Amino acid sequence: MRVVVLGAGTVGASVAEMLCQHGHSVTVVDHNPGVARRVNDELDVRAVSGSAAQSSVLFQAGVMDSDLCLALTGSDEGNMIAASIAKAMGARRAVARVYAPVFRDLSTFDYQRHLKIDRLLSLEHLSAMELARKIREPGSLAIESFAHGNLEMQELAVAKATAAVGVPLRELKLPKAVRVGSILRGGKLMIADAGEKVMVGDRVTLIGAREDIDDVKSRFDVETPQKRGIVIAGGGETGYHLARVLEGPRFAIVLIEADRGRCDFLASHLKQTTVVHCDVQRRADLEEERVGSADVFVACTGDDENNIMACVEARELGAKKTAALVGRPDYANVVGKLGIDETVSPREVVARQVLGFLNTGPVIFRNALLWGGGIEILEVEVVAGAPVTEHVLANVDLPPQCLVAAVIHESYVRVPGADDRLKPGDTAIVFAGDESVDGALALFQTNGRAS
Amino acid sequence: MKFADFVSTEAIQADLVAEDKDGVIREMVQSLLDAGGVQEEEFESIIKAILKREELGSTGIGRGVAVPHTKHPSVDRLVGTVAVSREGVDFQSLDGEKVHLFFLLISPPDRPGDHLRALENISRQLRNDTFCRFLKQSKSADDIRQLLEEADNNQFGA
Repeated sequence: MRVVVLGAGTVGASVAEMLCQHGHSVTVVDHNPGVARRVNDELDVRAVSGSAAQSSVLFQAGVMDSDLCLALTGSDEGNMIAASIAKAMGARRAVARVYAPVFRDLSTFDYQRHLKIDRLLSLEHLSAMELARKIREPGSLAIESFAHGNLEMQELAVAKATAAVGVPLRELKLPKAVRVGSILRGGKLMIADAGEKVMVGDRVTLIGAREDIDDVKSRFDVETPQKRGIVIAGGGETGYHLARVLEGPRFAIVLIEADRGRCDFLASHLKQTTVVHCDVQRRADLEEERVGSADVFVACTGDDENNIMACVEARELGAKKTAALVGRPDYANVVGKLGIDETVSPREVVARQVLGFLNTGPVIFRNALLWGGGIEILEVEVVAGAPVTEHVLANVDLPPQCLVAAVIHESYVRVPGADDRLKPGDTAIVFAGDESVDGALALFQTNGRAS
Repeated sequence: MKFADFVSTEAIQADLVAEDKDGVIREMVQSLLDAGGVQEEEFESIIKAILKREELGSTGIGRGVAVPHTKHPSVDRLVGTVAVSREGVDFQSLDGEKVHLFFLLISPPDRPGDHLRALENISRQLRNDTFCRFLKQSKSADDIRQLLEEADNNQFGA
């Protein structure tokens, strides 16, 4: 496919390289002629130098017949304008990277809608989600990237027989806003239909708002795991999002930040997190904050070297598990040798997202359900005239092993019921077994039928 | 757009009890609920959305005024209400002043234009000192209703 990448900084260049390796035709735009030339020499891409927000430059880069335009420069505003223009000029999908959370909030103004951009991505938010996924119990992941944080997916292990076990799901009267997604039983992953029963030993994924999920969990009498102590070093955007998504009964969180003003902000915005003003580079400070007794120590300051050092110190002090945000690919090798358990690279996180956007037809984003495989998560545009819009969901002829898990309407997410009907303009989150993906997607395609 | 187009008159409160930001928002959404402006099962979700917006930056725009707002899919038209706090509430306003006048707005996400026009109307009217002063002095919901009507008829010269 044809992809135009705007901005050849660390993120832009690595995404361009990754896309080349996947055999896509890539054009890179950077305002710095030297950078553009270097990218041109080092990668198998076409490079154009000039401002990404200028139509002449975008024209030269060929956005008109591109499948995807990625605005990945260091400027939020520049990215949004460039993506908006690219979309208007004919790019099939346009994605802009933004840093400031305000651009992804629509309560005062809806930037994404106004600018007609397909997605505003926050690298910091994505990195935080990735770190959170590695910190939580295995298999439990948040799908916030789908649903603006309003929807979560959690896994629970059913350990003993309660009143809810062995009863068909349709008879359980679960809260309307929660769906049972998949069930892992005897090594086999399947999508639960209404007649399915949950059995002892199953691992079940639940989709819905966090509070509702907790409610359902209690029906299956899941023991609350022991509270785990998490120390997060670095209260930037990544650290802030990470603390936010982990807050809850399962984690006791300490967030360390060196800037006094930022500490005030964090303390007022994170109600269940202990915010500490100290320097992660000072061993004495780490000792004082009892980093040694932490279950997990996460370093996510903006500096690779500091993150690596802090993790090494924390490990030596006795932290059970360490995780670091490491941007430079050159460090990947050494990090493992130093005994750091988990690393997250914002570049890799964004690369994975980007691949998800390279689809044909109404599919906006697709990804394998992260563990095990066998099930795909698809984010699909609902277009006028698609068969799926013709009936309420109960009467839509979905293939077996297929579930419409959530519907996003105007950026708001809901878990649909049997008598919900998808409308053009909605976005549907669909879970489908590998064999059912094509059948499911057929329902979202018009195949030239009149709309 | 006029106040009459979105202010739910039965939900107007002349004497807020709440003494903090969360409390004020809760009390105002409750009054909208009582007046039938929002659905009961959406109550917590609306409050959460309004508080989330506050986290990005206070809607306390200074001079004792705050405009907490959000979009929410559960409403099919603009709904809003007005409340006055005698004591004033710390709302982390730009100017650090306590807030006495609250205009709360909830609007459907697919009508971004109306939402912005309502916010614009509120901010424009509240630039008028006389209007603000009278609102702060109002003793009853009826007083407030009358003031809003007068503002709609441009009687404050805004």
